[in-house]
Amino acid sequence: MRRVLVVAMCLVLVGSACGTSTGTPGASTGTGPVGSSGGPSESAGAAFDPSKITGNVTIGEWDSSPAEHSALSSALAAFSVTYPNIKVKQENVSGDFRAQMITRFGAHNPPDLFYVNAEYAQDWIDNGFLAPLDDYIAKSAFKTDPFFKNYLQIFTGSDGKIYGLPKDGNTIALAYNADLVPTPPTTLDELVTTAQGLVGKKGIKAPMCLNAALDRGLGFIEAQGGSLLTADNKAEAIDTPASKQALQWYMDLFKNGLGTTNKALGDGWCGEALGKGDVAMTFEGGWLLGFMQSTYPKVNWKFAEMPTGSTGQKVTLSYTAAYGIGVDSANKDQAWALMQYLTGPQGMAVWTGGGIAVPSRSDVPVPAGFDVIVKGADYSKPGSGFIKGYNDIQTAFANAFDAEITNKTFNVDPVIAATVSAVNKALAQ
Amino acid sequence: MTASRLLPARKAGARNEALAGYLFILVPMIMFLVLNIGMVLYALYMSVWKWSVLKGPISFIGARNYQNILSDEKFWVAVRNTLYYTAIWVPLTMAVGLFLAVIVNQKIRGQTFFRGAFYFPAIASSAAITVLWIFLVSPSGVFNEIRGALGLNPLFQLLGYGPNQDWMGDYHTALNSVIILNAWTTSGTFMLFYLASLQSISHEVYEAAAIDGASAWQTFWKVTFPLLRPGHFFVATVGVIGGLQLFDQAFIGGGPNGEPNNALLTIVLYLYNALFIQINFSYAASMGIVLFVIIFGATLIQRQLFGRTPAW
Amino acid sequence: MVSSQTDAMGPAGPVAVAASASPVGERGGRWRRRVAYVILIGYALLMFLPFAWTLITSFKTLPDSTQLTIIPQPFTLEPWRFVFANLTPPIPVMFGNSLLIAGVVTVTNLALGSLAGYAFARLRFPGREVLFLVVLATLMIPDQLRLPPVYVLFSSLGLTKGVAAYIPVIVISAISASSIFLLRQYFLTIPRDIEEAARIDGAGFFTTFWRVMLPLATPALSAVTILQFQGTWNSFFWPVVFLSADPSHWTLPLGLTLFRQSGGFGSNWPPLMATVVIATLPILLLYLFFQRYFVEGIAASGVKG
Repeated sequence: MRRVLVVAMCLVLVGSACGTSTGTPGASTGTGPVGSSGGPSESAGAAFDPSKITGNVTIGEWDSSPAEHSALSSALAAFSVTYPNIKVKQENVSGDFRAQMITRFGAHNPPDLFYVNAEYAQDWIDNGFLAPLDDYIAKSAFKTDPFFKNYLQIFTGSDGKIYGLPKDGNTIALAYNADLVPTPPTTLDELVTTAQGLVGKKGIKAPMCLNAALDRGLGFIEAQGGSLLTADNKAEAIDTPASKQALQWYMDLFKNGLGTTNKALGDGWCGEALGKGDVAMTFEGGWLLGFMQSTYPKVNWKFAEMPTGSTGQKVTLSYTAAYGIGVDSANKDQAWALMQYLTGPQGMAVWTGGGIAVPSRSDVPVPAGFDVIVKGADYSKPGSGFIKGYNDIQTAFANAFDAEITNKTFNVDPVIAATVSAVNKALAQ
Repeated sequence: MTASRLLPARKAGARNEALAGYLFILVPMIMFLVLNIGMVLYALYMSVWKWSVLKGPISFIGARNYQNILSDEKFWVAVRNTLYYTAIWVPLTMAVGLFLAVIVNQKIRGQTFFRGAFYFPAIASSAAITVLWIFLVSPSGVFNEIRGALGLNPLFQLLGYGPNQDWMGDYHTALNSVIILNAWTTSGTFMLFYLASLQSISHEVYEAAAIDGASAWQTFWKVTFPLLRPGHFFVATVGVIGGLQLFDQAFIGGGPNGEPNNALLTIVLYLYNALFIQINFSYAASMGIVLFVIIFGATLIQRQLFGRTPAW
Repeated sequence: MVSSQTDAMGPAGPVAVAASASPVGERGGRWRRRVAYVILIGYALLMFLPFAWTLITSFKTLPDSTQLTIIPQPFTLEPWRFVFANLTPPIPVMFGNSLLIAGVVTVTNLALGSLAGYAFARLRFPGREVLFLVVLATLMIPDQLRLPPVYVLFSSLGLTKGVAAYIPVIVISAISASSIFLLRQYFLTIPRDIEEAARIDGAGFFTTFWRVMLPLATPALSAVTILQFQGTWNSFFWPVVFLSADPSHWTLPLGLTLFRQSGGFGSNWPPLMATVVIATLPILLLYLFFQRYFVEGIAASGVKG
């Protein structure tokens, strides 16, 4: 039995050693089995011409809706027309995209090109999953200036290198039912007054559908003069009196019945609450548009820019995703050829023309209905991914916040305490 | 003379029997050793290294992961939730399963129908059944509607639950909702296990009890229940092993963070979180080892508790 | 009336025997039986109603889905149309994949499980108890822990791409400890004389197993067939890891779950419930036709005192 055990162990270890032995520390690139896949160094110094490259490329994608699938398909079809020399294969990395991708990174077997969500971009860069794109960018003379600065910054590593190009981006805006709210509030004080006027209104369950977490809460806290971190992202700042006051203001929206969560309304998310007519106002990004058009086409609703708070500054949060290439991706050159097209002005125009995504570049025409969303991109702050381990901070905040509103205690101190300890833990790593 | 001639033959027979035995179990054993035991050993190895997803072991860290587990509040929340779930779900489902088995075991009309009916919820996949459950107990779901229609709301009010209680979304009730869900779906399976055990008790035992003038109640507690010991052991063991690995319902209901407010954070869910959210394979591996030890320990304790059985 | 009832109760049940022992018990027995029926019917309803509600909801409109209306107001086929219009790949493809995987896994479990179960029950060889404990210990390892190394193993063997991706899903479920356990338990209950007679006639170990023991184990084999088929059909974890890359490899539960995630209908309950019905229906039909084997199989191979 012992011998069988040893054999089994060897099998297991060899299985992984196949992957690990090639990756001696420090030499994380250039070990691909095929010469052409070794990276841009192959034709060192020469310019990158995507029309001269042949081969296949797999794109690992995740559909949030059937509409997204067809929008991407048309963008890929347009690519095939321009570059018939490269064949694209769509690979669905569904289920739990994040878990699946990490499993595949571990097996040195990622798709050639894939989505990278802002939320975990820094974690992936840190773990060395993503290949830096700077060489490709330089050789193709690809311009990164047109990308909204806040979007691109998320995919820039601490070494200053770019690891992903934003494929699209979203900012949070006020979405309101125009039958119930004839003129949208432009300041947070007006927002409160408007909401107060809607309390107890027949037909709706609450004036606003709100997020009991940092996903939206952070925007309100910053608009009211608070902040989560210091300006250099090196220390927590949620402990300050200004932050505390801002947080209390946000929590009071729940306390005073001006808003409640989608869960309490029995809805899957706040967009659905707006669609069903459970609320008159909520705060969502561009994804709401396609959803409302397909599921609740009869509802008369509009986007408006986020109301300004006590700071008088315009504040909103942005959420973005990029395309990335894995260090172990087999066909890097082909992947870059596809990436530079999809994130370039031409490809992005086709992609966002599908009506479900919002451009991440300022030189791409804004699709109908997304003006407010794109306006926000100029002054937005990242809603995720700006610090490593943000998930734990979000979770800590959300858990404590949820407890306060569930128990109807509405005390911000435990929320602050939990957040401070989570931030410190994340910064210490 | 005869004996000495027979001995080598018997020896050869024993050798042949042993050989046949090994051959018969060869393929499954190889698969178990590689895909199960091998993976646990691999996890054990992983857990003492600082581990890079891409490059494998980076530096030896010894027991540091295990020390970190001890001071990781979230891990202890996960342990508490998992133990609470198992401690309530297993006895509850055992009690319901045994109760059903005893009733169904009587000669009653429609026996086959009832046995089949009680097993019915177990046929659906955990994904489908959890989605269905979330729908049933949502704030405006049918459960809240029915208790309202039946006039039970004052009773629930007394317990502190409003008319639109969000059973899966409120962290006070989320885990208990999962307990009820799983008790509902598994009570039929436990019933079937108990039925097998019940049917192996000989009639004479009952006849003797009847002659002694024991009431049905007394017969059950004094005769049936103790005689079911192998059944208890089997059901409890299967239940505890399954309960300590609770994942599907918690993940579908509360995502990779075990929302709301860590209420659905189980050990396996936290392991999953360490793997794919924190991207810390070595820490996840150490949690897996701790969980394996907990489950193994629990099984041994149960074995002591219920005594050695013919089955094992 | 009374006598027919006592007859029906027979000698098998503990309660029944006790009840027929005294005249008091007879009257009490009748009441007990009534109570028993009420409980049985009540609990059976608890088992069925949620599924009935699922079916009803799949014919409702969204606003109506949260109301306590038993007959949909109005009755609509729209959720079903929505599901079928948006479902890719088509149901027959996913159905075929599920059938392939569940079928193969069931066959391997029957073959490997009965051999090993017989060996653990009847053949004497050194280390048998320890090896059997190893088998049982595999039940204590969470799949989540095994995922990264298992994926690395199969991927380094080149078995994660194309049609080969079916292989890891099948291999990893090809034999389960519970199949072996169930069959072993059943073989233990078969009297030894039967196989000893065969051995005296000169049959080898495999012949004895194949000709004599296996035919006697039909109840346990049918239990394993059904449990394994059901379990594999419903399984999600390994299929999503290995098969989700290419939609033409999706199984039914996989497709429906991914469809739910990407369908963009959060808590749009009616189509959601329609997918629950579709996912459950095949197993439900199987269950309706083979219910007897289901139940008797488990009962037969469970734990004998």
